[in-house]
Amino acid sequence: MEQSVNYLGLIPLFPLMGAVFIGLLHVFTCNRAKLPEKVYGILACIGPVLSFVLALKVFIALKELPAASRFLSHKAFIWFSVGDLHIDMGFLADPLSCLMLLFVTFIGSLIHIYSIGYMGGDKNYGKFFAYMNLFLGSMLVLVLGDSPVVMFVGWEGVGLCSYLLISFYSEDRSNVLAGNKAFIVNRIGDLGFVLGMSFLFWGIGASGFDYLSLKANVQNLEPAIALTVCLLLFVGATGKSAQIPLYVWLPDAMAGPTPVSALIHAATMVTAGVYMVARFSFLYAGVELAGNIVAWVGILTALLAAIFGMFQEDIKKVLAYSTVSQLGYMFAGVGVAAYSAGIFHVFTHAFFKALLFLGAGAVIYALHHEQNIWKMGGLKAKMPRTYITMVIGAFALAGCPPFSGFFSKDEILYSALATGHYGIWAVGVLVAGMTAYYTFRMIFVVFHGEPRDHHAYEHAHEAPSVMTVPLIILAVGALFAGFFNLPAIFGGDQMVSHWLAPSLSEHHPHASVFVEIIAIGASVVAFAIGFKIAYSKFGQGAPAPSYKGFADFAYHKFYVDELYDAVIVQPYKAIGSSIWKVIEPNVTDAPVKGVSRLYMVLGAAFKVFQVGYVRVYAIYMVLGLSLMSLLLSQSLN
Amino acid sequence: MFADGLFLGFAVLAVLGAVGLVVFRHPMNGAMSFVVTLISLAGLYALLSAKLIFALQLIVYAGAIMSLIVFIIMFLNIQPSDLPQEETKLFYILGGSVVVLPIGLFMAKIVKSLPKSSTEIVGNNFGGVKEVGLLLFRDWLVPFEIVSILLLVSLIGAVILAGKRGTTK
Amino acid sequence: MMHNYLYLAIILFCLGIVGVISRRNVFTVFMSIELMLNAANLAFIAFARVHENMDGHVLAMMVMAVAAAEAALALAVVILLHKHKSKLDTNVFSLLKG
Repeated sequence: MEQSVNYLGLIPLFPLMGAVFIGLLHVFTCNRAKLPEKVYGILACIGPVLSFVLALKVFIALKELPAASRFLSHKAFIWFSVGDLHIDMGFLADPLSCLMLLFVTFIGSLIHIYSIGYMGGDKNYGKFFAYMNLFLGSMLVLVLGDSPVVMFVGWEGVGLCSYLLISFYSEDRSNVLAGNKAFIVNRIGDLGFVLGMSFLFWGIGASGFDYLSLKANVQNLEPAIALTVCLLLFVGATGKSAQIPLYVWLPDAMAGPTPVSALIHAATMVTAGVYMVARFSFLYAGVELAGNIVAWVGILTALLAAIFGMFQEDIKKVLAYSTVSQLGYMFAGVGVAAYSAGIFHVFTHAFFKALLFLGAGAVIYALHHEQNIWKMGGLKAKMPRTYITMVIGAFALAGCPPFSGFFSKDEILYSALATGHYGIWAVGVLVAGMTAYYTFRMIFVVFHGEPRDHHAYEHAHEAPSVMTVPLIILAVGALFAGFFNLPAIFGGDQMVSHWLAPSLSEHHPHASVFVEIIAIGASVVAFAIGFKIAYSKFGQGAPAPSYKGFADFAYHKFYVDELYDAVIVQPYKAIGSSIWKVIEPNVTDAPVKGVSRLYMVLGAAFKVFQVGYVRVYAIYMVLGLSLMSLLLSQSLN
Repeated sequence: MFADGLFLGFAVLAVLGAVGLVVFRHPMNGAMSFVVTLISLAGLYALLSAKLIFALQLIVYAGAIMSLIVFIIMFLNIQPSDLPQEETKLFYILGGSVVVLPIGLFMAKIVKSLPKSSTEIVGNNFGGVKEVGLLLFRDWLVPFEIVSILLLVSLIGAVILAGKRGTTK
Repeated sequence: MMHNYLYLAIILFCLGIVGVISRRNVFTVFMSIELMLNAANLAFIAFARVHENMDGHVLAMMVMAVAAAEAALALAVVILLHKHKSKLDTNVFSLLKG
C-alpha cells in the first residue's frame, strides 16, 4: 500500500536545524562581533531550498506510483504509547500533502530570498531568519504529519512562530500586543481542535490514530460524534484561518514585517485550517450539516471581510481583510464538499496573495515605511516592476480571466451552484464584485494619479533585485497557475483535481453546461462591475475620503474588536483581578499565613515559661521528676 | 536496743539540722545547723560499722568543707541588706514540699520492696582503714587517680577564679 | 532495720531538694546540694553494710572528694558574684531573661 521512505523526515528537519543553528549563531554573536548579513541570508535559505528539492523528489516518486496507492510514509520514531493511544512521529506524503509541500517550500524559499533584501539593516537580522526557518519547519510538520496529533504539533508550532514574528519589532508595545492577540485567539481555536481530536479518538481511535487507519474506520463513528468532531475541528480552523468569530487577530498581525505577512498570513499558516478540513474530508463528507455550517461561516466571513476591506486606509490591512475574505471562499469550497476546489484556491491564492504582500512590502520599503494609501499615489512611474507585478496579482485576486484566481474562484462558485447551495453562490458572486472593487481601489490610489505626499514621492525608488526577482517569479505563478486545473469547458482536464482525488473523499458534481456558463458569466460580470466602479472613483486620482454613516461604521470594522473587548476581555480581566485581590489573599494565602501565625502564637505562649531565673528552671526539673515518680509509682503497684 | 536509741537520736538531730538549714535566713545559722546534721550523720556511719567513713566525714566534711563555707560566709561580711528579702519563704517551702512529696513516696515504695536485713555492728575489721584502703588501691585504683586529677583541676580553677584576673571589674 | 536508714536518707534528700528550689540565698542553695550529697552517702554506706561489701565505702569517699572539689569552685564563684553585685540573691543574676 504505502512505501516507506526515509527522506520524508528530512523535509521538515532541514529548516528546523537551520533555525536552531542560526538562532545559536545569533545569540552568541549579536552582542559581540556581529556576523555579516550575507552569512545569515545564505544559511537561512539553505533549509527551505533543500526542502523544496526534496519535495520535488517526493512529487516524482509519487507520480511513478499507480494512482490508487500513491502514499509514501515514514515513521521516524515512536513518540508515546499509552493504552490504546499509540502515536508515532510519522510522516505521510500523499497527493494532497505533496501539493501543499510543493507550494509551501517554493513560496517559502522565495520569501526567504526576498527577506534578505527587505530586512537589511535590522539589528535582529539573524533572529528573524531563525524564526522564519522555525516557522517553515513547523508548517512542514503540519503538512506532512500522518496523524492528527503530529499535525497538531505543527499547528502549535506555526502559532508560536506567528506570535514570535508578529511581535518582532518588540520595542513598540502595540506590536507585542498584536502578537499576544494572535496567540491568544489562536489558542481559543486550539481548544476546539484538541476537543475534536479527543472526541475522534474516543470514537474510533482505538484501532490506530493516524489518517489512514481513521479513514478506514470512519464508518464506525456514530453520527452524533462525527458531527461534534467536525464542528470542534472547525472551531480550531476558525482560529488558525481567521474565520468568524476568531478572525480579529489577522488584521492586527500586520504589525509584523511584511515578509512575515506574506508567508504566514497569506500563503501558508492561514491555509492550515483549509488543509485540515480537506485532510478530514472522509469525516466531513459524511456529515452534510457540518459541511453546510462550514460553508456558510466561510462565505459570511468573506462578505464581512470584503466590506471592511473596502474602507481601509492601510495598504497591509486591505490585503489582510482580503486574505480573510479569500479564506472564507476556501472554506465555502470545502464546505460544499468541493475539497479539491478549495485546495486549488489555496494553491493559487498563495501565489497572488504572497505577490501582493511582497509588492506592498516593496512600496513600503521605497516610501520608508509609509503604509497609509492616502499618502501614496503616482508610483507607477517610479516603481515599474513592482507596479506591473502587483497589477498581475490584483487581476488574479479579483478573478479576471485568464489569471489563476479566476479559475480557482470560479471552481468554488460553480461547485456551490451545482450542489444546490444557491445562497452561498449568490453571496459569493457579490463578494467577487466587492473583491474586484477594493483590490483596484488600492491599485489606483497607490500607483495612479498624482502623488499625495510629494516629499515621500521624491525619495521613492524601485526595490533592489533581490526583492523584485521573487515578485516576478510569483507573478508568473499568479498568471499561469490557473492552467493546472483547467475545467473541461475550456478544454483542460482538471489535472489538480485528478491528482488530489486519492486523498479526498470527493464526489464531483456533474451539472449541465448551462449551469457552468451561468457561473462563469456571473463571476466575470461581477469582476467587471467592481473594476468599473473602482476605476470611476479612483482611476484618475482621488482625494482622501471622509467617511460617514455606514461607511464610517465599516471603517471602524463594525466595532467588533471593541465589542470583544467589552464583553470578553474586560470581564475576564475583572475575574482575574478579583481572584488576585480577593480569593488569593483569603483562600490560598490565608491557610499558609495562618500556619505561620499559629507557630508565632504557640511560640509566644511558650515564651512565658522562659523566665531568666535558673531557680525556676530547677523547679521545672523537679516538677518533671515528681510527675514521673507519680506515674511510675502508679505502675509499680 | 542501745543501737536503736542511738539511731533514733542521731536521726532526729540530722533531720532537725536539715530543717534548720532550709529554714534559717542568715546563712551562718544555716551552716551551723548543717554542721549538726553532718556530725549526726557521722554517728550514723559509725552505727553502720563504717569506721573509716565516720572519721573521714568528721575530718573532711564537717571539718574541712564546712569550715571553708563558714570562712567564706564570714569573709564576705554579709550585711542584712545583702541578704534577699524572702517574705514568702515559708509558702515556697511548703509548696516545694508538696512537689517533692511524690518523689519521696516513690523512693519509699522502692525501699519497702527491698528485703529486710539487720545492721548490727560487724566485726573482722569491716570498714576499717586497712580493708578500705586495700580495696581503694587495688580494685578502685583508676577512679582514685581520676578523682585526684579532679581535685587538681578544681584547685587550679579556684585559684584562677578567685585570683587577680577575676577581680578586674 | 536497714530500711530505717534508707528512709532517713530519703527524708534528707527531699529536704535538700526543697532547699534548692525554695530558697533564694546562694549559700542556702549550695548547702542544700551538699545535704543531698550526704543523703546519698548515707544510702551508699547502708547498702554496703547490707551486702557486707566495702565498695560502698569507697564510693562514699569518692563522693566526698567530689563534694570538696565542687565546694571550692562554687565558693570561688560566690565570691566573684558578691564582688560583682554585692548581693547574694539568685534572682538578681538574671541575664538569661529574654
